[in-house]
Amino acid sequence: MKVRIEKRMFANWPWSLIGSMLLIAVIGLWNMASASRASHAPLAGAQATFLVVSLVAAIIVALLDYRWVRRMVVPVYFLNLAALVALRFFGHQAKGATSWFLIGPWSVQPAEFMKLSLVMMLAKLFHDDFKPESPTYGFRRLLIPTIVTLVPAVLILKEPDLGTTLMMLLTAMSMMVFAKLRWTVVLTLCLAGIAVVGVLWNDYVREQSEPRWTLVRRGLKPHQDVRVSGWLSPETDLRGANYHQHQSRIAVGSGGLTGKGWQRGSQSGLRYLPEQHSDFIFSVWAEEQGFVACLALIILYGIVFVSILLVAYGSRDRFGAFVAVGFSAMLFWQIFENIGMGTGLLPVTGITLPLFSYGGSSMLSTMLAMGLLMNISINRRR
Amino acid sequence: MRLGKHAAGKELRVRYIALGAFFMVGLLILVISLYRLMVVRHDEFLALSQDNQWKDVRIRAPRGQIRDSRGQIVVEGRPSFNVYITPTFCLECIREVLPRLAEWLRWDNAHFEKISKQIQEATGLLRYQAMMVSGDLARNELDILNARLQELPGVEIEVVPQRHYRAKALLAHLTGYMNEVTRQELEDSRQKTRIERPVYAPGDFIGRTGIERAFEEELRGVDGWKKVVVNARGQVVRDDQNNIIERREAAPVPGNTVVLSLDLRLQAAVEQAFEKAEAGVAVVVDVKTGFLLALFSKPSFDPNLIVGRQSSRVLAELFNDPMQPMLLRATQQHYHPGSIFKPISLLAALRTEVMNEHTLVNCLGGYRLGSRTWRCHKDSGHGFVNAKSAMQKSCDTYFYRAADLMGIDAIAEEARLFGLGQPSRLGISSEAAGVMPDSAYHDSMTPGGYSKGMALNTAIGQGDVNTTPLQAAMLYAAIANKGTLFQPQLVRRVESLDGRVLKEFSPKIVHHIPMTEKEYRLMVDSLSAVVNETGGTAFRYRLSHIRVAGKTGTAQVARLGKKRLKKEEIPFFQRDHAWFAAFAAVDEPEIAVLVLNEHGGHGSSDAAPIAMKIIEKYFELKKLDETGLGSPEFPYKTDEVPPALPGNASQFAQNKFSELNKTHEGTH
Repeated sequence: MKVRIEKRMFANWPWSLIGSMLLIAVIGLWNMASASRASHAPLAGAQATFLVVSLVAAIIVALLDYRWVRRMVVPVYFLNLAALVALRFFGHQAKGATSWFLIGPWSVQPAEFMKLSLVMMLAKLFHDDFKPESPTYGFRRLLIPTIVTLVPAVLILKEPDLGTTLMMLLTAMSMMVFAKLRWTVVLTLCLAGIAVVGVLWNDYVREQSEPRWTLVRRGLKPHQDVRVSGWLSPETDLRGANYHQHQSRIAVGSGGLTGKGWQRGSQSGLRYLPEQHSDFIFSVWAEEQGFVACLALIILYGIVFVSILLVAYGSRDRFGAFVAVGFSAMLFWQIFENIGMGTGLLPVTGITLPLFSYGGSSMLSTMLAMGLLMNISINRRR
Repeated sequence: MRLGKHAAGKELRVRYIALGAFFMVGLLILVISLYRLMVVRHDEFLALSQDNQWKDVRIRAPRGQIRDSRGQIVVEGRPSFNVYITPTFCLECIREVLPRLAEWLRWDNAHFEKISKQIQEATGLLRYQAMMVSGDLARNELDILNARLQELPGVEIEVVPQRHYRAKALLAHLTGYMNEVTRQELEDSRQKTRIERPVYAPGDFIGRTGIERAFEEELRGVDGWKKVVVNARGQVVRDDQNNIIERREAAPVPGNTVVLSLDLRLQAAVEQAFEKAEAGVAVVVDVKTGFLLALFSKPSFDPNLIVGRQSSRVLAELFNDPMQPMLLRATQQHYHPGSIFKPISLLAALRTEVMNEHTLVNCLGGYRLGSRTWRCHKDSGHGFVNAKSAMQKSCDTYFYRAADLMGIDAIAEEARLFGLGQPSRLGISSEAAGVMPDSAYHDSMTPGGYSKGMALNTAIGQGDVNTTPLQAAMLYAAIANKGTLFQPQLVRRVESLDGRVLKEFSPKIVHHIPMTEKEYRLMVDSLSAVVNETGGTAFRYRLSHIRVAGKTGTAQVARLGKKRLKKEEIPFFQRDHAWFAAFAAVDEPEIAVLVLNEHGGHGSSDAAPIAMKIIEKYFELKKLDETGLGSPEFPYKTDEVPPALPGNASQFAQNKFSELNKTHEGTH
């Protein structure tokens, strides 16, 4: 591991990115103190510890040698893949999924790190096989990136963790689109999109005699099935399948313009809001702080995106650019899905809100991403 | 490598802008959906969030008491400590919690299996509903559970008012008992109060028999309610903030007190007098008003067991008992009256003028009609008897003769005047009407139709005549008061909790029976002679200081064989019924007393002494009350004192108890 520290590097630090992300994380801690008031565990304290540790890790990553990092991409990817395979044998089961390793007092979620690793792997692929004479990607050139994406995606889907899988697929697809696709691929993607809508329509919406003849629905786990059907008809079954989302919508909607006040949200305080420190953390924020604060938070996330794109713009090679683009896409999809499910826009999947939700793995992976972005920024082209 | 073909900056610039724009659109969509929820539909969701946390909690109204005429509490509410389990919070329920409970509460295996099955089968929302697993803890059980509550996650102890029948079996038939409302009753109460809250909730108890049922509406009271803040687990949270809605609540209105006309002391004396009888009835009625002073039916049952923890098993046992302890024998069963019917036959004979008080009949031990002879109970015969001596000695032959002359219809007519053949309308349970046969009855019911012999049987209270003991008692009361037939009543008044009289019941007269002074004198003289003159069937049992008038009766149940058998030689259910109907005192009648010793044997030896004890007790108590020396304490021995919790009870129990008292105080 090579670490380089030079004085001139500080001029290139992405201050807006660091600033906005740290601000979000600190606000997140404050919000966590409210969200965890009802539970016995002092989650905010633990979360603060995670933040500090992750920050140190981020700084270390930022100071690593850029070329060494690029060389380590492939070994790290296979290490993560090995971890996902090992999970199947040594994993700890909780909430119906085998997604965690128990290491001492900590539980580690390998999928969180696989996401990072996948982005870097794809970036390296798009960096290595770049041909100026044919800048677009057809099916043949997408084969390896697709395999690289699908292998961990399938492993994570089997945990089962549908949410993370979707996030990975969306992130990978965003990067491929960004790499510029040939029109045949675009057409295929459009057709695939239509096919997905068609399957949804056939499996869930269309009037059919029971039992329904379905394409994909029969393969889904019951809890996944009710989430999709719940999402497609959100006002029904409020005590059953749509209970979580309904309570979240009540929390968000009852917040109003200015909110109920810190630690005064009834939905969160009286525990009507489920998973309030992880999946539905945003609803706590919305209920207690109101619409204006939500707007501010979203603007902060917007600043993060712009900052990341600026890092990408300044990166000295395609690897850096694609890593940055990948991370921004990853963050975007997570934020979009998390807030979207909190407001009833999207179906419920167990996706955390970066920097806001409770969880050491999530915090560490987000901060590692920030460290890499800092690294790219420090090593920008001159 | 550095800037050349891999340069990522400028050539990707358009894509950066496009990607950035895409992100912004995404965020804008989020903002819009947040705006719609938080600003446009804010009011709707705010209301929903308040609906979530505010819950109406019912405050049960304490049920009214039942007291005796002197204010002694017969039935009251007492706190019962029940154990509830909420499955979802009961961790390791089947493996750890239930075995502990089973050990400490000494459950049998069947109960343990039942409860663990119930908990395993609770799914979905049922898992959040507390289910009762054990009711009415004893003091030591409560202490154990309170001390070990930490080891029992999901287990709660609740104080629930429980009906306590202080008089136990003594008044069971009259007070009745309560049990859980049926689905139909829930539905009905919902229909009745479409706008307001339904009166009953699942699991409530409702008066099922007796006074508990007849006065359900008076006793029930009106439940109150209040709003509380609850969390997602349904636990009540102290609301220190979030006082968004105005707090409204309604205090419960406690049920009213039903005051009986019975005197518990007299009732207890009746029970004691019946010590040696297997089954039977005693009725004591105030001849001037028709209010009942004692009403006893044996065998009886303990209603505490029916409202208690093992109600279904106890009920099944009671229903299967051949002695039918649940039956209120005074009204729900009818019997041949035997000789206590004779005053009716005599009055009928006088009214139809087939005989007068001086008419003599020579009793040779039987009466011949056609080819058959009707036997008198005295085989050697009574010799010449007139109206008075026929009654005194209970000579059957005299009444055979009278019946032969007047026929059955005259007897039936007279009997109906005295209320026989129709329900007495005591009003606390279903009643038997009894049977008063006439010629039309026999023409339709008996093969071959009416014949004279049936009149002969009827005249001595056999044949098809059946009366309920209460009918017989009211009949004698009507004789004693010279012809006023009252409707029997059990409840004097309804009072509010603070003693205000809400409803006073006045005597209800069915009708006046025309009775001449001469007829009345003859009745009193002849009935008095039964007890007070040598040769009277109850002469041996007369009281030294009270002149009682009465009539013995020995009603045949099974057809007699050639040989007269002794009581012990006959199976119990074929033995004769022993009756004694009386009023006292002769000169100034106050009470009528009816005693039926079911399958007890002889009216004189097996019923009259019981009646005499009751009459003696009545006058003794009357004297006590007049001199102001009436004993204030509860007259009936009860070993089960309501579990009041003394000073050394656990803090939890004390809190619970004072909580309970507070709700009571608040309602005074």
